[in-house]
This record gives sequence, structure tokens and C-alpha cells, in this order.
Amino acid sequence: MSAPKAPVNPNLKIMAGALVCEDCELIGDITIGARTVIHPKARIIAEAGPIIIGEFNIIEELVTITNKSSTDANSGKVLIIGNNNVFEVGCHVEAIRIGDHNVIESKAKVGSKVEISNGCIVGCGCILNMNEALPENTVVYGDKCERRIQRERPPAQMLQIDFLTRILPNYHYLMKPNLNVNVRAPVKK
Amino acid sequence: MATFATVDLVKYLCTCEKKFPICRLYLCKHCLKLRCIDCVQHEVDTPYCPNCLEIMPAQEAKLKKNRCSNCFDCPVCGHTLMTRASGHISPNPEDPNKSVTKKTYYLACGFCRWNTRDINMLDQTVATGNWPMLENPHVKRINNLLENYKLMAQVEKADRERKKYVKRRSHLYLQDKFNLSPSVMKRKGLSSFSSLSLKEGDKTIEDLEPSVPVESFDPLPNDYYTQPAALEKTTKLVHRLSVPEFQPEDVSKLHPINKHLIMKKSLRCRECEHNLSKSDFNPCSIKFKIQLTALHWVPEVRIMTPSTFTYNKETLVTLTMSNPSVFNTTVTLSQIENETDVDYCTAKVELPKKELVLASRDEPSMHVYEDSSQAHEFKDDPKLIVFRKGNKIGFVVKVTPVVPQGDVKICFLLKHEFRNTTVAALQSESKEPEIKWLEHKVYLCLGTI
Repeated sequence: MSAPKAPVNPNLKIMAGALVCEDCELIGDITIGARTVIHPKARIIAEAGPIIIGEFNIIEELVTITNKSSTDANSGKVLIIGNNNVFEVGCHVEAIRIGDHNVIESKAKVGSKVEISNGCIVGCGCILNMNEALPENTVVYGDKCERRIQRERPPAQMLQIDFLTRILPNYHYLMKPNLNVNVRAPVKK
Repeated sequence: MATFATVDLVKYLCTCEKKFPICRLYLCKHCLKLRCIDCVQHEVDTPYCPNCLEIMPAQEAKLKKNRCSNCFDCPVCGHTLMTRASGHISPNPEDPNKSVTKKTYYLACGFCRWNTRDINMLDQTVATGNWPMLENPHVKRINNLLENYKLMAQVEKADRERKKYVKRRSHLYLQDKFNLSPSVMKRKGLSSFSSLSLKEGDKTIEDLEPSVPVESFDPLPNDYYTQPAALEKTTKLVHRLSVPEFQPEDVSKLHPINKHLIMKKSLRCRECEHNLSKSDFNPCSIKFKIQLTALHWVPEVRIMTPSTFTYNKETLVTLTMSNPSVFNTTVTLSQIENETDVDYCTAKVELPKKELVLASRDEPSMHVYEDSSQAHEFKDDPKLIVFRKGNKIGFVVKVTPVVPQGDVKICFLLKHEFRNTTVAALQSESKEPEIKWLEHKVYLCLGTI
């Protein structure tokens, strides 16, 4: 395997402890929090404004996270992704804001006018493209994107993060963290 | 796969005059006739649970209302629920300083993430069974009614027997409907005096309290009009109809649904009463003991490529035919003489006049690419037979639509050799199986003008 040397993104901030594979595409002003795992081939594009990703998130292969301006009002706004979120393989996220403990399952699509609160699950292949804010603990599932509210939010994936931080460095080149934990940027809520 | 995917373009006429694609038909090897799903007798072999694959005898299944007692479906989305274990630390009753990890189990849906904790159902200490069941509020009334129907059926039967079997067969259904045990039915055959055994004083029809019709409903509460609808707390029609005995209106009342049993089915020819299809007894197995699907015995006709048609103009259409048999098979095609039904025949068709010979199906050599070595072997007319590959040939028919618009449909009579290998082996010692000629009517829908 040869190390593809991507041009260094001057606006990329990776906290110490985060695990970002080199083989992913990070464009624009992006901040990645501690203990967040970003798999190879993920794409994070800060197009209309910066993207701030919190701690303990898992962003899997072929995930696309874009900060897109759906309206002029949103242009330049920061896309903040909270803590303990899981973005499964191939999902496509353009949301305005994402809270904590959410799961975006494989091939799901979250449109640019959606705001996701906490503890939500967007099921496999579900598409959200309305102008809406998902209430807490919403589950969207099935081919008709049916919804229900669950009592408990999905559990944090600590074991999986530990496992990935152990395994991924064996097979992939990593980007070097360039920010110390002590001086981390405040993650806005 | 094309056999099952484009199922409705080429149809064969069943003996019962219904048209079916060949993969849905059976060939009875004893009557040598095509049978379809509507003209065979269906029999239940064994009910079993599709999840845990446990076999349940028919009687037991009836008692359990054809549901598995250990497996559950999600009341929200209908997927099978999984048992999840969770550790739970509690103080040791013997030594207060130590704590023990207790394993508790709950049911969860992997699809919509519903779980039994959502409805405040207590976790269980054992993994299977023991889940609390809801009691049907109407169970007493239903049992009362059933009891009465049974008695009524007996009285009716007694009446009938006094009339000396006016209609012998018709009341069999009646008994079945009211769940009379088979022993009662057998007794009928023993003596016509059996009706005497039903003494008048034994059991009389109780005076059932008649059900009360609902005359009026309470008006809807005012909240209904003033409060916004809490859609996430209300169940949908599907949720309510899946449990007709409770019909929960609130999501907190949803309860795991016991999984429906499914069954292994066997099919029997109505004429000769031989089995056409019988599956393996074991639910884990997908094999069949007997499977006489027509696909294994009758040459299969398919449309090779779509063609364009013009009214009253001849078009060449290539059809393919493949031989499922392990012998070379001769096939002749002929017109159906008096097919006047315009619904199934909207074009004139000129068929190959010569006999067509289909090579035998040889499974191992089917995957080896062979080029035209067979053409010499069979001396094909290249004008007639476009290609030949293994057990398949492509042949040309000339189609002239006789309607100005609509679907182009043709039909013809397919006559083919049939070597009945199994019956021959049973009946005689002779090596060569007997050759029979079978005729099938084939209906094709070739496309639109």
C-alpha cells in the first residue's frame, strides 16, 4: 500500500486522541473531536461553512457529510455534530445540526433542511428531506419511513471505538492530530 | 431465474382449462396430465414455527391457535423479536459486601428498535418462555359460543341421520366448522342408531345470553378537537388489526405477538390420488421427497427477444425451447385448429413444420462452452433453427398480427415425447422406458403492436 499524500488542508483541526484515516476526503474548515473514529473513504465537505464534529463519533466508510447551504439564511453556518453518534456505511448527511447519541444507518439520507436532536435513529435507506426537526429519540424505519418514539436512546459504542482504535492503525495510514486536548475548541450546543 | 421473473408471458393450459406459467404447473406422472394449484388437493403435513423450526403436531397447533409459544413478532413492524441479555448488578443476599451480576433478558426488534422495556414489561430471568401473556377479555364468551355451536352441530347431525342421509356429504363441512372431534365423525359410520346415544337429557343447548348491539356511541371528547393529535402515541390500523382480540389504541399497550406457525404442504392429484409434491418432513430441510413440477418434464418455451409488430405484416420471432429431460426429445408444433377465442390469439402464426429435436439435458456439460459441434450432429436447418446450445434451441416462427392494435398473442399445440422413467422402472424390467406423446396448449404474449 502506498501512502497517498493528500495536500495538507490548513483548516483541518484534529484533536489528540481522534483517529482519522489518511485515505478519506476532508475538504474545508473541519474540526474533529477527541476519540472520534473516521474510517477510510469517508468524505467530509465543509462547503457552505465549517463542520465541527464532537467526541466519540464513528464515521464509517463511504459516508458523506456535507455542510450545504439550503437557504441563504443557513449559508456560512457551522454544522455541529455532537458526541457519540454513529454514521454507518454509505450514509449521506447534510443536516443543519446533529445532537448526541444518534445513529444514521447505512445508505440513509438526511437532507439539508433537517435538524436532528438527540437519541434518534434514521434507519437503513430512509430518506429525510423535509424541513423539519426530529424530536428526541425518534426512530425512522422501513421503506415508508415510518416513525416512532423510543423510550431509551441508543447506547454509546465505547467498545467498538476501542476496538477500532486498536485495529485501524494496523492497516491504514493515519492523519496526525494537530490540536492538543487542553486547548480544544469549545463544542457548541 | 427468468422462468420465475417473467412468469406471465408464456402460459401453458392446465387440464382444468386454466392458463399458468410452466413453473407453476405440475405434471402428474400417473395420469400424464398437467395440474395446477387450483385443481390439486392441498394437504397440511406439519405445522412448524418459521423461526425456531419446531414441529408442532396438528392437534397441539390447534390448541395453541397456530402460534409458537416461544417466538414473537414485533407489534410495531412485524419483524421477529430477538432475545437480548443484559447484565444487572444487585447485592448478594448472603453477603451484603459482595454483589452478583444477574442476567436478565428482554425482547427487542432489530428493525424498528422496539423493545419490551418500551412498554414497561419486566425483564425475565430465563431466556425462553415465561413471557407474560395477555388474557383475552372475551375468552369466556367465545368458549360459550363454541360449546353451543358444537351442541347445535350434534343436534343437527342427529336430525339429518333420522332423515336417512338425505344429503350425505354436505354436513361434513358443517362438522369441521364447529370443531367436532374426528371420533364423533367416525361414530356416524358405525350405525345409524348412533344418534340415540345423544340422549336428550345429556346436554341441552344453554340459553345463551344474546349479544347486545351497540346502539349509540359516546360523543368524541372535546380534547379530540382542541388538542393536537399525538400521532406517536396512537397505534395505526395495522397494529390494531394484527391483534384483533385486544386492538390496542395506545402504543404503550402493544404487546409482543406470538409468531404464526406455517406449514409444510403436500399436493395430491385429485384423479389418481398420487402425490404431486411432498416436502421433507424436517422443517430445516428445503428438499422435496416428491416434486413433480412440470418444469422438470415438459419442454419450456420462452421468448428470446422482443420484436416490433405491424398490423397484417409478417414478423419473425425467435423463441427458445429447452429440454429438461435426460433423453433427446422430439417435439412437434402445430396450430390449434379451432381456437377462436380472440382474447388469447390475436395473430396468425406459421410454425416450423418439421419435427424439432432437443438434445438431452446434461448437467455437467452445460457449463462448458461448446461451439456449434452439435449442429452437425442434429443436421439442423439454419433457416429454422437459429442456434443450438446444450439442451436449448432457438427457432423461428412467423407471426402476422390480425388486430390493428393491442397485444400480439399466439397459441400453438406443443407435442413432445415423454419417457416415464419412474413408472417404467416400477412396472417392467425392460431397459428402455416407454415413450408417450404428450400434448400441451401454449399461449404466448409476444408484445404490443
